[in-house]
Amino acid sequence: MNKSKKATMQFRAAASILFLAAALLGTIACGGKKDQATLHVYTWADYVKPELVARFEKENACKVVIDTFDSNEAMYAKIKAGATGYDLITPTSYMVSLMNGQGMLQPLDRSLLPNTTHVDPEYLAIAIDKTMDHSVPYMLTNTGIAYLKSKVRNFEPTWAMFEREDLKGRMVMLNDMRETIGAALKFLGYSLNTANPEELEKAKEVVLRWKKNLAKFENEQYKSGIASGEFLLVHGYSGDILQVQGENADIAFAMPKEGGAISCDDLVIPKSAKEAALAHAFINFLHDPKVAAENTEFIQYLCPNKDAYPLLDEKIRSNTGIFLTPELKARCEIFADLGADNAKWVKVWDEIKAAK
Amino acid sequence: MKRSRFPSAATAAVLVFFYLPILILIANSFNASRFGSGWQGFSFRWYARLLREAEIWQAARNTLVIALTVTVVSLVLGTTSALALHRFARSKLQRFHFTLIYTPLVVPEILMGISLLMAFVAAGVPLGLFTIFLAHVTFCISYVALVVLGRLQDFDYAVVEAAQDLGAGWWMTARRVLLPMLAPGLAAGGLLAFTLSVDDFVITFFVAGPGATTLPIRVYSMIKHGATPLINALSTLLLALTFTTVFISQRLTRTKVLEGKI
Repeated sequence: MNKSKKATMQFRAAASILFLAAALLGTIACGGKKDQATLHVYTWADYVKPELVARFEKENACKVVIDTFDSNEAMYAKIKAGATGYDLITPTSYMVSLMNGQGMLQPLDRSLLPNTTHVDPEYLAIAIDKTMDHSVPYMLTNTGIAYLKSKVRNFEPTWAMFEREDLKGRMVMLNDMRETIGAALKFLGYSLNTANPEELEKAKEVVLRWKKNLAKFENEQYKSGIASGEFLLVHGYSGDILQVQGENADIAFAMPKEGGAISCDDLVIPKSAKEAALAHAFINFLHDPKVAAENTEFIQYLCPNKDAYPLLDEKIRSNTGIFLTPELKARCEIFADLGADNAKWVKVWDEIKAAK
Repeated sequence: MKRSRFPSAATAAVLVFFYLPILILIANSFNASRFGSGWQGFSFRWYARLLREAEIWQAARNTLVIALTVTVVSLVLGTTSALALHRFARSKLQRFHFTLIYTPLVVPEILMGISLLMAFVAAGVPLGLFTIFLAHVTFCISYVALVVLGRLQDFDYAVVEAAQDLGAGWWMTARRVLLPMLAPGLAAGGLLAFTLSVDDFVITFFVAGPGATTLPIRVYSMIKHGATPLINALSTLLLALTFTTVFISQRLTRTKVLEGKI
């Protein structure tokens, strides 16, 4: 066999393998019907009820493809670096304001979103994007205190619970700078978006005092910890706690009277979206009161849709840790993007974590 | 002399360390409790739910398609690259080639993920399964090449020359002499490429496009925001699949090709 022939054979072998690979990948990638519009949603895992997605697909003769991310920051880094193809994203409010500030989001066309009239005005009053100019709130969760009714005596809804010596070693706070320092700031009556060094310093002292009574700072395992009775009182998200309550009916959730954090994930349309009209239709669909109620009961976070509230299960509606009184709600805040002041917070948090 | 107990104790400790977490995971996949808070009874509910989770199966399918294609392509490219590196080890070009092959092993994943993403965006390649495939091949080639290169290093080239003396052409030599002798290296390289591709998260996250969520991406998001028992059930199924595959392949091959090499 001569040299050039060998080379051709090698080349052919390599080329055919590459071709096969490409063909295989191609068939998988273009699985859907070509004539259907496809809406690409980029969101957290299990963040919309699958049956509702199927209904939307049928009503709009389209296909919905859902991809997932696991942190706001990673999602931001990816979109910022130029990744495109997503039509609807659900970042947390502070990330929405950061992305909007950098011109990464499309302004919303309210004429395509008639259902936004159902959005809870009490929530909008404390939201960052109050006019729903570029984002519509999707799901809320309050950060409060969960505890075991039978084990924690004389429970009072206040952040001061973390000073209780009798619960020493059986309490957990979130391993999250904003949440935990934020709780101390609220306890002291300050804003949880403060950048005032004196207020941060006072909050640090409070957290250090609490830290002596804590088992640890932790974000995930507190759920199984309170369900099993390992922990008696934990700092956590109402959405998570609602899920855990299904396993242990002894768990109760309360929002401290000083107020706390409300986190909200918003629906936004990135600049690069190809199916902006369909994305608007999906936002509108999710805020149909019936859909919002069904979705809330599935995810167990709260969709701030005032006309969906009466449709919710009695158990959720009567939960005062989720449906806050107007006075308490007014004392709660949404985390704003700290911008350059972030460094001050990080420094305080490092000192807290390093302290004995 | 009394035999030291240390080796057996160390072995036991290592085995416990490796396999206990896996056993706990398997046990928990049958636990009715959602948060793994104690044993709430034996149940198949997570498996039943897993069957209905179309998105997870789609992600599993994506992962497998990518891993299989990546394995094949990086085996071919990695082996040819190892052959070149071995044959012309002293040339300047091959030394440069070696540096290129080596780089992906030492570059931090996050850097590789972001830079690949930026390259794809700049080149106008639409993100999707194909970009994940390209990215995985990029780093899998290096692993395959180095494993095969290691195999080539104690390779007696006289055998190839003998084959040629006896009249075998290039293709015949490659098929009847080189391939069988490299087989253990190829198997090891292929398995390595497959495994690396299946569980890569960081690079995949950045180069994945819409509709191209892989299992690791899905699982990370589920840890934050979904039901962990589903992950346990899924992992148990994957483990079962792995063990069966290994078992069957060992039964089928029966030859000593893989013995002591992986």
